[in-house]
Amino acid sequence: MGKAIVITSGKGGVGKTTTSANLGTALALLGKKVCLVDLDIGLRNLDVILGLDNRIIYDIVDVVEGRAKLHQALIKDKRFEDKLYLLPAAQNADKSVLKPEEVKALVDELKPDFDYVLLDCPAGIEQGFINAVAGADMAIVVSTPEISAVRDADRVIGLLEKYDLSESPQLIINRIRPNLMDDGRAMTVDEITEHLSIKLLGIVVDNDQVISSSNQGEPIVLRENNKASQGYRDIARRLEGETIPLMELTEEKKSNFFKKIGLWFRKK
Amino acid sequence: MQNVVLKGHNEGYEITLKTTSSFANILTELQELFAGLKSGQLSAVDQPVSFDILTGDRLLSATEKKAIEAIVEKYPLFSIHKFAANVISKLEAYEMVNKKSLHLDGSVIRNGQTKVIMGDVLFIGDLHQGGILQVSGSVFLMGKSAGIVHAGFPNDPEAIIAGDFHQSQQIRISDAIAIISQEKLVADQETVAYVNDLHVLDYTKRSQIKQIRPKLFSKLGGQ
Repeated sequence: MGKAIVITSGKGGVGKTTTSANLGTALALLGKKVCLVDLDIGLRNLDVILGLDNRIIYDIVDVVEGRAKLHQALIKDKRFEDKLYLLPAAQNADKSVLKPEEVKALVDELKPDFDYVLLDCPAGIEQGFINAVAGADMAIVVSTPEISAVRDADRVIGLLEKYDLSESPQLIINRIRPNLMDDGRAMTVDEITEHLSIKLLGIVVDNDQVISSSNQGEPIVLRENNKASQGYRDIARRLEGETIPLMELTEEKKSNFFKKIGLWFRKK
Repeated sequence: MQNVVLKGHNEGYEITLKTTSSFANILTELQELFAGLKSGQLSAVDQPVSFDILTGDRLLSATEKKAIEAIVEKYPLFSIHKFAANVISKLEAYEMVNKKSLHLDGSVIRNGQTKVIMGDVLFIGDLHQGGILQVSGSVFLMGKSAGIVHAGFPNDPEAIIAGDFHQSQQIRISDAIAIISQEKLVADQETVAYVNDLHVLDYTKRSQIKQIRPKLFSKLGGQ
């Protein structure tokens, strides 16, 4: 029996969908069988980031309304043999077409066949959020080091406490810019974790390649020598129960570069 | 004045309802007619007899049809084969014209939008990724297509898609679907997609339309 995890944040644009895609891919790379469920009805993106948008024929609304069978709507990611599947959201419907109990029934149908069912929650705390949480055993809250994102994450954690999830929520701090944290211009990882007082599952640094790779329909996790990719891989391994220390945030490259310039000036 | 006229021919009986008569008069006269038939001419028959009801330049509503059916149902051996009129409703007429004409469409179809068109379409617009162009007939593409082109919707496998669709996400004809990224197509305005004799989506060149779809070819003015 697999575990259903909802990936949520409250605020939009903090990287829920990117996290879903990369965490799913990282778990598939570890040999786990993963089903990603896009619940952002009407504004689906997960399919695009995974590069599977061309292959959508049926979607979650078709399945819930009984027009298509679940296995017909699941899209297999051919890069991972039999490990990664996507259940796409509908594009021409509204979040209100799904009911919490329908999502729960669907997730319960998926769980026996997968190790992980990751539910990509839409932004906001309305119907879409309620639907996504209904099916979950656990929640991952994504936040960035911005005050507004942390504030919304705090609100979402409060709402999650009212649901009877079997595990307490865990935190991912995304799009970290180490120089801002070093300078004291953004909250640090410790400050955010302490403020939200939930378990920190992992951190992911901000990286240009995250955007360029998702533009190509290829999650960043597939690029091995990348810090953001490493962050997602660590998170996947922690979910699997491994103990992995948090990544160091100091940027060696940059300091070396400035040192070199300094040396160059000194020579003259 | 006679409101209904009964005629017999080889295949059965025809009852013509006069267009100028009121429906109430017609109903009364029909009742008399069937009662007369039962006791007179057709009293000896033991085989089922069916009637065509011809309504002339009049369209019967569903309730009016039911009223006539109710009269006939009283006689177990009698039945109505069909209702036929010389006229059709405007709606039906528009649909017929639409289905048979070629529509020029230059719209932008955005992500999440579905444009439904009856008939054939010459598309000179811009179909974005995530948009669907859904057409009952064939599609001739001159515009940009990066979305899903669906011809022959819902159930006409005779429809074709002609033009450059190598950048589309999918093309669909009737219930056959192709995911273009898997098809290794190149940019070519001459490509034609059709459903072949094995009911599989297949590709050919524009010059082959005459061979694969002779009816469509002549409809397009080819000889």
